[in-house]
Amino acid sequence: MIEFQNVSLEYQPGRFALHDVSFTLDPGSFTFITGHSGAGKSSLLSLIARLTRPSQGEITVGNIAYSQLPVHKEPALRRQMGIIFQDNQLLHDRNVFDNVAFPLIIGGYRHADIKTRVSAALTRVGLIEKAAEQPLSLSGGEQQRVGIARAVVARPKLLLADEPTGNLDSRISAEIMQLLQHFNASGVTVLFATHDQALLDKFHFPRMQLHKGTLSVGMENEPRQSPAKQVSDANTRKLRRPRPKTTAVSNAQ
Amino acid sequence: MIEKASAVAEPGWVYTRRGYAIARCFGQLSEHKLASICTLMVLGITLALPVMLFFSSSTLQAFASRSMQGETISVFLAPEIDDLHGAELALSWQARADVLETDFIPKEEALRALEQNSQLSEAISALGTNPLPGTIVLYPDLTEHDSDQMQQLAEFISALPQVDKVQMDLQWVHRLQAIVTLVKWIGGLLALFLTLTALLVIANTIRLEMSRRRSELAVARLLGASAGFTRFPVLLSGAVYGLIGGTLACIMAALAVLVIRQAINDLSSLYDSSFTMNLPTLSQIFIVLGGSMILGLIGAGSSIYRSTHELTLPDLKP
Repeated sequence: MIEFQNVSLEYQPGRFALHDVSFTLDPGSFTFITGHSGAGKSSLLSLIARLTRPSQGEITVGNIAYSQLPVHKEPALRRQMGIIFQDNQLLHDRNVFDNVAFPLIIGGYRHADIKTRVSAALTRVGLIEKAAEQPLSLSGGEQQRVGIARAVVARPKLLLADEPTGNLDSRISAEIMQLLQHFNASGVTVLFATHDQALLDKFHFPRMQLHKGTLSVGMENEPRQSPAKQVSDANTRKLRRPRPKTTAVSNAQ
Repeated sequence: MIEKASAVAEPGWVYTRRGYAIARCFGQLSEHKLASICTLMVLGITLALPVMLFFSSSTLQAFASRSMQGETISVFLAPEIDDLHGAELALSWQARADVLETDFIPKEEALRALEQNSQLSEAISALGTNPLPGTIVLYPDLTEHDSDQMQQLAEFISALPQVDKVQMDLQWVHRLQAIVTLVKWIGGLLALFLTLTALLVIANTIRLEMSRRRSELAVARLLGASAGFTRFPVLLSGAVYGLIGGTLACIMAALAVLVIRQAINDLSSLYDSSFTMNLPTLSQIFIVLGGSMILGLIGAGSSIYRSTHELTLPDLKP
């Protein structure tokens, strides 16, 4: 699904946000990207979202080699991803429904589809009854759930979460994690950047640890539960399937 | 509950790409009513003078042309040219594109007219011979020709061997045309500066609006919005600003024409002129509205490039 080959991102001459990073993530995997602030977690996600370009190396997502991707096709690539932010990046001049509908308007969906999909996404995150409310009237956890609904409403194959629990307490963080596991269980590849040790201790997924832009610890395949086991929803359990293999190589020393 | 949530998504047209752009464009105007009204008034007032000059430019041109109408060139033929030859010459000149009409005055007719209209009849009789040459009065076609061409026609004729002297008085016409040209230049430059001002007003307004909507544009980009999706509402806003500004300018210019119309007519009648200041025609209004929309598009377009190429979320920076 995602392959980095000797990828570096130099933001100033001689200063690297990422340096010689290589790894491979299989489709349907759930992976933590860990590391302190400034370690390069967000840079890695922005490279995958094609918001920035690597200084060197090759990135492949799906069957798309980014070096071969024309600029005008980048928006279409991004529409196949869902992005969740720490500060949720909701638009406060419109209600919850319109926030979640935004990716579908961008994608040119029909009005009937928009209504169906947004309702389904809001139901999934438990906020259907708050569709008409403004984001500022919601709690932090609810706002983040709206952000998740917006990220998944177009049914992306890849979810990029950039510290989505960074501003939330542990209980709400666990709820958010459960939601993401739901989506992961239905086949969505999830890349979750965090430095929340409590969360990492609680949820045992493969992790890549970044330190000053390099993969200081390659891929830790920690003992873990199947995501489906962690999800209480019986319907989701039906979607359970064998976990894909996740491998990583760090060339950085 | 789902039905209730779906009911939020109305009207449906807002949830299409074009509908979204239109809703954002007019939403922004209504969100900041006072600021929008002030901006539109500034645009209207700024564009009013160029529009007024545009409306009056054709009238000014007609005024300068009309002032030359009725002007004639008197051609005095050489003494050896007889009446028959003079009449032939008059007919041949009449065939020219820049000549409307010719009138040949034979020598004898000229003498009779002189005797009747002056006190010189006895003196002329004393001469024994007719001293007057045959004369051709030329009426140049001034509908499509200016005073320079009239001058060229006179020079051409005076160079002919059959012609003794050419007389015309175009000096005052030249003066008038010089004034009209000066007015056009000053007006044109003023119009240019004011149009540039309007362009800057639109560009600045759009730039401010884009910085207000910076987070929305950034989020849209992250969610996969194409350049067209983010640019269309901005260009639409520019066009709407231009269109409304142009409409206000047309209204103000038309009102100004109405106010000064009577004064111009009074002045014109003092000079026995039929010159009048007319209200703008429909085609002139359409030209102004089209031009102001293009102006708005250019102003908005100039704001787009930098704004949409600098969008990154702070938390995605290394």
